[in-house]
Amino acid sequence: MSIRIENLTHIYNKGLSYETKALDDVSLTIEDKEFVGIIGHTGSGKSTLIQHINGILKPESGRIYINDTDITEKGVKLSDIRKRVGLVFQYPEYQLFEDTVEKDIAFGPLNMGLSPEEVDVRVHEAMELVGLDHEEFAGRSPFELSGGQKRRVAIAGVIAMKPEVLIMDEPTAGLDPKAHKDIVEMLVKLHRMTECNILLVSHNMEDVAEIVDKIIVMHRGKVFSQGSPAEIYKERDRLLDIGLEVPQAMLFMKKLEDRGIFVENNVMTMDEAVREIEKLLRKRT
Amino acid sequence: MIRDITLGQYYPGDSFIHRLDPRLKIIATLVYIVALFIMVDFTSYIFTISYMAAVIIISKVPLSFILRGMKPIILILACTFLINLFMIKGGDVLLDMGFLTVTEKGLRTAIFLATRLIMLLIVSSMLTFTTKPIMLTDGIESLLKPFKKIGVPAHELAMMMSIALRFIPTLLEETDKIMKAQLARGADFENGSIIKRAKGLIPILIPLFISAFRRADELAMAMEARCYKGGDNRTRLHSLKFTYRDLIATIATVIMVAALVIQRILM
Ligand SMILES: Nc1ncnc2c1ncn2[C@@H]1O[C@H](COP(=O)(O)OP(=O)(O)OP(=O)(O)O)[C@@H](O)[C@H]1O
Ligand SMILES: [Mg+2]
Repeated sequence: MSIRIENLTHIYNKGLSYETKALDDVSLTIEDKEFVGIIGHTGSGKSTLIQHINGILKPESGRIYINDTDITEKGVKLSDIRKRVGLVFQYPEYQLFEDTVEKDIAFGPLNMGLSPEEVDVRVHEAMELVGLDHEEFAGRSPFELSGGQKRRVAIAGVIAMKPEVLIMDEPTAGLDPKAHKDIVEMLVKLHRMTECNILLVSHNMEDVAEIVDKIIVMHRGKVFSQGSPAEIYKERDRLLDIGLEVPQAMLFMKKLEDRGIFVENNVMTMDEAVREIEKLLRKRT
Repeated sequence: MIRDITLGQYYPGDSFIHRLDPRLKIIATLVYIVALFIMVDFTSYIFTISYMAAVIIISKVPLSFILRGMKPIILILACTFLINLFMIKGGDVLLDMGFLTVTEKGLRTAIFLATRLIMLLIVSSMLTFTTKPIMLTDGIESLLKPFKKIGVPAHELAMMMSIALRFIPTLLEETDKIMKAQLARGADFENGSIIKRAKGLIPILIPLFISAFRRADELAMAMEARCYKGGDNRTRLHSLKFTYRDLIATIATVIMVAALVIQRILM
């Protein structure tokens, strides 16, 4: 599905002395099947932005088109939009409520009105995808799992709805490096398998740089820049200016450049850095 | 949605009212509530309403914020109004619809009671809007001190109350978040029969209770880790002082009450 956002503005607590303009004239487009990373500081408006895409928040002004349907229009059935746009909230483990993992994952699909057989198939698929063994976990209470396992259950609950757009708000926040890597790999696999749109929110560019087609940088409620990782790489000085965390490899390359050693290609990941440095060394000898 | 509930919240500000001694504000609120019930006729409203209006204007709390807090009780208000309107008989009959009649006395009582209720709610919420929870606690504790002798655990009561107040906004925020998350999973809180809607609350209430217990646990642990021990010999960061501002407010309150009493005697 394609998503087009035009001049979106959102104000929390409008009219009160402590109102906050969380989004300020945001415009962006996301093409069909695109894997997009949304990055920005804490408080830059990432969560606010994505909650507009399935109609959970209403904008102050601006339009949101999903496949050319304006979802800010009156009379649009938001429940239909929510079936197609799946949203995994920040710290989703706090939304678990059923007495077994299986039932909790089935909550979304059942709300969609699917048959019990179909729901069962989807629960199995989703659990396998997030790396939870059905036999071991299906009957257990979600409250006795570890934080990382709970997170997987919550993610599976949304994946089982088979949304055409999957939005993940900081799915790896607070997890250890292994669980972090597992979840990123799962997203890549899911994207390859289902070709759905994925929007991955993160405050760290390192997480997203390697895997996404496009990066959107948010800063103080505005889109600071957007483009392919290579295009974003060209703006690295501006990104450093606003104090964004950029990939280690990118920082390293910048240090080299400051010393007058230039590399031609964009370097975002460790692997690319290694390749470029090897090339440089070979040239010297 | 749920964030509209302003009950017990604090509205940040630095006005004259915000800076009054909390003890004075608590007493003035109680006095005002009593005053509402010694009102006799429409002229008494001149005093009470102007007092309330002055408090609101000086405090700079926007009217929209105050009215937003009234929304949840509109239904209760409407019910009391209608019951009074139709049940109380006396005076001329204003409207006759067969089995239902509206009399002059009924109409007057209904209006009287509804405005009284609204004023009661507005003024008591003004207390929390303009007083930081911590100040409120200090005020209550200080006022309860004389009762310590007869075994009232003043400090503990005040502490419990301030923790409860402190967590109202947090729990509302949490409810809002959980509701959004379940909406995203296709939950429907608005349609269907009563039973279906009641069932729809389960996905909100369970996570909410779990997080409330977790929070309570964490808070208790954090307090213990910092050697909190209630009761005697605690000193505080801000000691309460009676200033010229408090004097002005006291005089204003006394004038309002005196006017009401004199008017009542003259009647
Ligand atoms: N429910 C709310 N009520 C009031 N203000 C809010 C609310 N949610 C967010 N804000 C404010 O809006 C701004 C943007 O918040 P948002 O949650 O969108 O940031 P974010 O980019 O997701 O940050 P993080 O990385 O910490 O999740 C912040 O200044 C925040 O304080
Ligand atoms: Mg966020």
